Amino acid sequence: MKEKFKYIGKSIRKHDVKEKVTGKIKYAGDMKLGGMLYAKMLLSDAAHANIINIDTSKAEALKGVVKVFTHRDVPKNYYNSHKWYKGVDFPRDELILTEKVRHVGDRVAIVVAKDMETVERALSLIKVEYERLPVITSIEDAMKEGTTYIHGLSNKAFEKTIKCGDSSQILKEAEMVFEDVITTPKQHHAAMETHICVAEQDSFGNITVWSPCQVVFQVQLIIAEALDIPLDNIRVIKTIMGGSFGGKGQPILEPICAFLAMETGKPVQLITDRTQSIIGMRSRNASKICVKTAVDHEGKILARNIDADIDIGAYYTNGSAVPMAMGKKSFRMYKIKDQTFNGRSYFTNTVVGGACRGYGSPQIHAATEINIDNIARGLHMDPAELRLKNFVKPYDKDPTGGPDLGNARVIDCVERGMKVFKWKKKRSKAKAKGRFVRGFGMACAVHGNGYHGAYPDFITMTMRITNDNAVVLKSAIHDQGCGTVTTMKQIVGEVLDIHPDKVIVPQADTAFSPYDSAGTQASRVTFVCGGGAKKTAELAREELIAKSSVILDCKEDNITIKDGFIWNVEDEENKFTFGEMVVKIQNELEEDIEVTHTYKSPANPGVYAVNFVEVEVDRFTGLVKVIDVLAVHDIGQAINRDFVEGQIQGGAHMSIGLALSEEIKIDRMGRVGTLNFSKYHIINAPDMPDVRVELIEEGEALGPFGAKSVGEVCAAATAPAIINAINDALDINITDLPATPERVLKAIREKG
Amino acid sequence: MKLEFIVNDKHEIIDVYPGERLLDALRNKLGLTSVKEGCGEGECGACTIIMDGAAVTSCTILAMQAKGKEIITTEGLEKSGELDILQESFMKNGAIQCGYCTPGMLMSSKALLIKNPNPTKEEIKRAIEGNLCRCTGYTKIINAVLDAIER
Repeated sequence: MKEKFKYIGKSIRKHDVKEKVTGKIKYAGDMKLGGMLYAKMLLSDAAHANIINIDTSKAEALKGVVKVFTHRDVPKNYYNSHKWYKGVDFPRDELILTEKVRHVGDRVAIVVAKDMETVERALSLIKVEYERLPVITSIEDAMKEGTTYIHGLSNKAFEKTIKCGDSSQILKEAEMVFEDVITTPKQHHAAMETHICVAEQDSFGNITVWSPCQVVFQVQLIIAEALDIPLDNIRVIKTIMGGSFGGKGQPILEPICAFLAMETGKPVQLITDRTQSIIGMRSRNASKICVKTAVDHEGKILARNIDADIDIGAYYTNGSAVPMAMGKKSFRMYKIKDQTFNGRSYFTNTVVGGACRGYGSPQIHAATEINIDNIARGLHMDPAELRLKNFVKPYDKDPTGGPDLGNARVIDCVERGMKVFKWKKKRSKAKAKGRFVRGFGMACAVHGNGYHGAYPDFITMTMRITNDNAVVLKSAIHDQGCGTVTTMKQIVGEVLDIHPDKVIVPQADTAFSPYDSAGTQASRVTFVCGGGAKKTAELAREELIAKSSVILDCKEDNITIKDGFIWNVEDEENKFTFGEMVVKIQNELEEDIEVTHTYKSPANPGVYAVNFVEVEVDRFTGLVKVIDVLAVHDIGQAINRDFVEGQIQGGAHMSIGLALSEEIKIDRMGRVGTLNFSKYHIINAPDMPDVRVELIEEGEALGPFGAKSVGEVCAAATAPAIINAINDALDINITDLPATPERVLKAIREKG
Repeated sequence: MKLEFIVNDKHEIIDVYPGERLLDALRNKLGLTSVKEGCGEGECGACTIIMDGAAVTSCTILAMQAKGKEIITTEGLEKSGELDILQESFMKNGAIQCGYCTPGMLMSSKALLIKNPNPTKEEIKRAIEGNLCRCTGYTKIINAVLDAIER
């Protein structure tokens, strides 16, 4: 039986849409503090070089310039910006400014001046002399023996094998093995707000940093490590987020901006432009993945071997976490008894990798889902039917010992999708012979719900019911524009049976927010933080009932709560708002309604997305148009339907870009060719299909009201579905993403 | 240099320097921070404003080019406390996530509706083709404009 909810599942408006739609809301770039200075970095135009000399004299002589900083002026504390809590460590290879540049976009100098015009002029006056070093721009070059090493004595940064059973023996002996090598590009997050940060030091020496970030406590930690200053002297306030998608996850500007504020004694706003956001921040890692799958004649997968080589760029950051994330996903979609995943990361002199919506899922699913379709073609089977023979089932175990899959409903997604999309009918249509040909494809993806089973995953929350009838949920949550605040309001409203408008949810501020172990990462917010909000609200409800029973002099069982009112069931005449009751509790009992709870994530189930797409390919130009996307999601329970659709449609946008047009292009010299949106093409409105959304809401027992994640899995399945549809249209085998017109034409030519 | 123009129905005179972009003048001299910078080359549309009835990217226009012109920014959509129908519709249809592209989207949509009060879905898509959004996949934005027309 499905529960009936009052606020859960409803499309309530986001809490800040009025401020956004009137243009009044202030992002970090709109902040102005008294006496604020402006700063911008000079980024390297050499891909690999030692800096011999930097002449800043002309820049410093310019009127209005406060100071120009180079590697000579900054602390030499190495850090790794991926580290998000004390107790975990990754190779530390980053400095605020570097003497040896390792990619085009590396940090060379910073100008601080009284206005932006002066900053820009001063930047153009800095002269840098480089001693150029050999440049590595591909995984193949990075692997070579005796080549140039970007750090230390090897370009291999990380290697790990995850396995179950013994795949190699089965693959050796199997009658049918399908092998594909799939490559995926470096992708720019393309948040419309470029990276930006504001910092100020007060007279006590405390530093306050305002940043559109994903994890305030991580920002605080990285600033402390990079500047070697006490963590608790740093306050980080999350500002309105103008889009992140993982790009603003790792603190990049924050330690630099804090340093500038300390050095100048003034508030400083550190700004990046679009080019800097593309080359100097983070990117989705490029990958080259070899998939070998042994199957029987019925299409049952016997064994699989995946070799994934990841190009992590010039610094380590999360170079171990992305291949690990990719590997773990490989075991949670299909039931494969014998499987081996080998992941390797390589340094190259290219844009640095980091978190990017999906965190390895888009790459690994591109590889495995294209491979699955090629198996289906080889066996003359329907690719959806082939998948249905191999999927995991609800409550299956992870064969590598990972967290249980929970109520995994990928089969439901495919079955529903086949019906709604009219898959069989569309696939069976004969292909057009003319210039334009339609193709149909599908693909699946799995993702997680937080860090449970791998890293500490808990959140502390405090709830107070005020004497003016509001419920305040204090925690370090970060709304990235997805509706996190309203999601929490709906959860709390449902538990306390009070309208979500009465629930106040301040966002992350290290000075006032209780601690959260991981922030807005890893698709954990609804599942873990939402679970925390639910539990905390339940405890507040219990406390309210207990104390109200004293005030009303009745048994707790007699206390009724409904629509924001509380009363003794035997005294219907005297109903009180929560606020009125709190006034009584405060005045008569000298007590309060405030609870604090630390919620540990109880699980980390799989969450599934299945996409069905229709494309039209132009045989003359190689251009692909996406006509239709149907996204079916196993979501457990939508907390807010409108937000869920928004996530899925936005995730599809990013995934269509990965499939067709987005790639940070880097030549053999390490120069970046896609320096702005005129060259780096994200999908615009005329090229974007309406993404239809279907939700499977079968409930996840350990999620708040049954909810699971959606924000990352939605960016993983569309791209392989599109590639599969293109391959279906033309009976070709594109395995390099994005499928640009050049690549499509080449595949057509090669087919002959 | 003195720049005299009309911004959101108000006569304004401000000092600008020769190379100053209209984007910076509006943000820094008039405090109209709904006008956002996303790319600085007219490709993303976050800085879109309406100048003499047409949607233009204010990052590719010098401030002085606005001399004598009539400018509308998102701040000017609200009339005596009443939101514009497009603003209402954007809120109602879930067209806003991070909100950074929203003012530009509103300007392009408004400019379209000024010229053509009954556009087709395709015409709406064309009108906002220069406005990039990474959050929404555009569907809810287009639905919002369609909904505003119906009302």
